[in-house]
Amino acid sequence: MIKVENLYHSYNNNEKFQAKNVSFEIKEGEVFGFLGPSGAGKSTVQNILTGLLPLQKGKVTVDGYDLKQVHNKRFNRIGVSFEQSNIYSKLTALENLKYYADLFDVPTRDPEELLKLVGLEGKGNDRAGSFSKGMKHRLTFARSMINNPKIWFLDEPTTGLDPAIAATIKDIIRSEKAKGTTSFLTTHNMYIADELCDRVAFIIDGEIKLIDTPKNLKQQYGEKLVEIEYVKEGEIYKETLKTVDDSDKEKIANIIKSYEIKTMHSKEATLEEIFIQVTGRGLI
Amino acid sequence: MMKKILRIFRKDATIARRDSMLIYIIAIPILLAVGIVFFAPGVTDSASTIALLESDTADHIEYMEDYVQVEIVDSMEELERRINKRDDVVGVVPIDQGYEIIIEGNEDEAYYETVKAMSAFYKIGATRENTTAEILDFGKTVPPLKTTLANALILMVIMLAGMIIALGIVEEKSDKTIKAMNVTPISQNTFIIGKGMLGGVVAMGSIIISLLIMGYNDINWLMLILIGLTSMILTFIVGFLQGLASKDVIEAAGGVKLIMLPIAAAIAAYEILADKWQWTMYWNPFYWAYRANDLILSKTADWGIVLISAALVTILSIAVYLIAIPKIRKGLS
Repeated sequence: MIKVENLYHSYNNNEKFQAKNVSFEIKEGEVFGFLGPSGAGKSTVQNILTGLLPLQKGKVTVDGYDLKQVHNKRFNRIGVSFEQSNIYSKLTALENLKYYADLFDVPTRDPEELLKLVGLEGKGNDRAGSFSKGMKHRLTFARSMINNPKIWFLDEPTTGLDPAIAATIKDIIRSEKAKGTTSFLTTHNMYIADELCDRVAFIIDGEIKLIDTPKNLKQQYGEKLVEIEYVKEGEIYKETLKTVDDSDKEKIANIIKSYEIKTMHSKEATLEEIFIQVTGRGLI
Repeated sequence: MMKKILRIFRKDATIARRDSMLIYIIAIPILLAVGIVFFAPGVTDSASTIALLESDTADHIEYMEDYVQVEIVDSMEELERRINKRDDVVGVVPIDQGYEIIIEGNEDEAYYETVKAMSAFYKIGATRENTTAEILDFGKTVPPLKTTLANALILMVIMLAGMIIALGIVEEKSDKTIKAMNVTPISQNTFIIGKGMLGGVVAMGSIIISLLIMGYNDINWLMLILIGLTSMILTFIVGFLQGLASKDVIEAAGGVKLIMLPIAAAIAAYEILADKWQWTMYWNPFYWAYRANDLILSKTADWGIVLISAALVTILSIAVYLIAIPKIRKGLS
């Protein structure tokens, strides 16, 4: 659905590139995470893919359209949820969605249904300007689905939302994936990337350092350890043991068999730890 | 494309209804037209008016009424008050041997000389029936001051159309919605026309209502609309440029007011400059618009001159558009 080859972009049209030799491919129905700290080049790449920035150098095809040419029709199959909410503050929530629905040439979703989906049921006739930051963000997110997009660009979709609403948004992304929607998720939140993405790309200083599935990355970079807390003769003991070492494996089995286990955790690496390990930089 | 242009227009109209500043912009020209009719005496009357005393002879009053508009006042004080108003009214009062002409001092000399001659004709008993002179009519049936004010009002409304567009763009910028528009199937051209439509419709509506209030019921409306629409191209461009360059509503409104300069220059040049210097304003689209409107409002325009004027306004405005469009496109990206 999306193919990027040797993409370069410079805001000042000089040799200082904000995107350098970026190449990747996203298959239909895949949720692809673009992970990197602020200023890494995530938004630059996403803005090129959505047509908000011109393609300077490289080859990019989105949904079969070569981005060297302008094809307004392609937006009928694309949805974009922006990090910063951008809705008409003097229009009501319903008026906002109905207006955007009328700009597309394809069948659109029921605005009321979308508002319900993002937890804004009953707020349809309230002006968007009176909404809280989180509500505006949800309305922007709902608007990105108005045209039943086949390719969905999500920029920090859960940032600033309370955990319950963030969980709802994640559920919506999962259900859209189940319908076969291809998603390009830009975030610096490794938890959401870990939860939702089929594959992630680590980008730093405009360059992709690594692309793989979260599972593979954890296996490759994570330490294979188990942390066990158990009670022995009234005292609490805590041990960290290797799951690949034979003597440690025996010890784990013995502890489980002989003592009362208080807690036991596998110590696989988080995506953030892997990111730091790979790039030498943090995600903030 | 038309459906989407109308959709953008409908959305902008909804927002405009909820914005008091836009409502003021719409109301200003209509209030001005009402003000002109009610507070500027004589603007809607004929230019040829004389004031006579109630005590004058019925024969003299009747004679004068055959040729000019006559206002009867009941005293000398009232007559002086009437003459001193801002329009050209000449007083004629009986004295021992005939009539005395009373003027404010700033009237058109030709006018009070005519009144003087009429008094002389009355004295010798000359009438229409016993004169052999033929009348040559230039066909100007509308008072010149009225035409000037109405014409200036039209250009002011056209400037306000640019302001409406600038305010709409500032609104889009503050809500950051231009970015969202750029990821829909509508093209920039559709967006630009759609955004311009509210300004155009409001301006044309205001112009028509204002002119009807001022009593212009029987002018050629098609000609007026054609000149109005073509002269709006330039204000649209200024509206877009200023809207994109401004951070807030006040800055945008202030910037658009700059367009008053070429408008004022056009009016001043057409009304004051000698014929041999008129060419200095040929570069200014508002000059051609003002000139064409002057003919339309005084009911002396023909389609030939209106079409030439409209073509000149369009060509000059398009030249500005070609220079400005890359900046507008960049601003909307």
